[in-house]
Amino acid sequence: MEQSELIRKITAAFLTGDRWMLYLKGLGITMQVAVMAAVLGVIIGTVAAFMKISVRKNGKKTILAHIANIYIDIIRGTPSVLQVMIMYFAILASSKNGVLIAGLSFGINSGAYVAEIIRAGILAVDKGQTEAGRSLGLSNFQTMCSIVIPQAFKNVLPPLVNEFIVLLKETAIVGYVGLSDLTRVANQIASKTYDFFTPMIGAAVIYFVIIKILTKLLDRLERRMRRSDNR
Amino acid sequence: MKKLVALLTAAVLCVAGLTACGSGDTPANADSQAAGGRPVLVVGTNAEFPPFEYVGDNGEPDGFDVALIKAVADKMGMDVQMENMEFGSLVSAIGTKIDAAIAGMSITEERLLEVDFSDEYYEAVQFVVVPAGSEIAAAADLENKTIGVQLGTTGHTIADESITGADVKTYNKALDAVNDLINGRVDLVIIDKNPAEVFEEQFSGQVEIIDGAQFGFEPEFYAIALPKGSEMVEKVNAALAELKADGTFDALVAEYIQ
Repeated sequence: MEQSELIRKITAAFLTGDRWMLYLKGLGITMQVAVMAAVLGVIIGTVAAFMKISVRKNGKKTILAHIANIYIDIIRGTPSVLQVMIMYFAILASSKNGVLIAGLSFGINSGAYVAEIIRAGILAVDKGQTEAGRSLGLSNFQTMCSIVIPQAFKNVLPPLVNEFIVLLKETAIVGYVGLSDLTRVANQIASKTYDFFTPMIGAAVIYFVIIKILTKLLDRLERRMRRSDNR
Repeated sequence: MKKLVALLTAAVLCVAGLTACGSGDTPANADSQAAGGRPVLVVGTNAEFPPFEYVGDNGEPDGFDVALIKAVADKMGMDVQMENMEFGSLVSAIGTKIDAAIAGMSITEERLLEVDFSDEYYEAVQFVVVPAGSEIAAAADLENKTIGVQLGTTGHTIADESITGADVKTYNKALDAVNDLINGRVDLVIIDKNPAEVFEEQFSGQVEIIDGAQFGFEPEFYAIALPKGSEMVEKVNAALAELKADGTFDALVAEYIQ
């Protein structure tokens, strides 16, 4: 491709009519949905994780554990694009706030995965730790709060970050329900300039940079938390 | 810092390299041979636009445009293979993935920069779909409203460029936009006359349609999009003229549109 042609395409994709503003707005929608979903997902996921590991005195699963299992099964067993569309076109058909619907839908989706992450994190803490806590005279609840959870937190942080990264990228499907997120904006500009390459690469670079920054920040946090580890 | 510069340079080179491949001359599909020996014309459409194109009961695109392009290709001694794709990506796929596009596509200046068009075969105007009992009636009523459109259509262009203060929501399908109109998420939908009429019938009592002429929308002309500088334009035009002369065209209009 000639250089002038490339410049023309870049100009059309980003500069004409201040189109770069559209990408920023799209990124705003993407971030709103992702952050809302992440917060909701962690809340739902934590609750579901504790529901799932709850046992009765005779060692069998509680009703709550069964409910959590069904929730996780259904969410993991259906495509998220379908979940968003069901939420938008069927369940919450009367709501006008698309961002809220998408955030809610992705939050419920993410909650199932977060639940499994947290459950795995808790189970990874050695049983001896619980036993030691109980021997020292702490109650079950106290052992959980002051011995198991602080250790589990370090276990779950990396997979949680990973889940957020997946979530951020997965929001690219909200264009299906009329939201103008980053991916959709790139598509809109492509359909106007008839050049798909430049806007799509542009959007890809923006996603990449955002996620790179996130990873760096969370790397630092993780290292900070490991400072007390003697290894 | 040096690393960053090196990384950026690498990225730019990669992009440039990819671009070079992307713009290379991909052979057109026009000369590929069908099993029967007749060359195959690969035609793109977006089968979400009744009565011009829709997915028929057999899962293949059907409708006026599909029947028309088959008749045109027959006159040219070719078979047709339909490709159903997003409307917004049709124009950029012409010349690479498809040989032509017929999709109720209006001739516009922007599209003419990228493709050539055959002679027009249908005159259309954009219609405005509003909820039943809406007070929208004149051009000024359209300002500062939330407008639903199908991505990349002329309705999209009108909403984006000719209406002040419009909050434009883009959908993959016109039906999704009308669905959101009924759910109260958009105030109006701008779409071509014929599909608007189909929606009015389907959602009677829930939506009303208004002729775009009332809002000063210009009439548009549908045509078949072909690669820029293609010699097919003349052949297609000749076939179209023949079909109009021998009554086939009117028969198709009667069958699909009226």
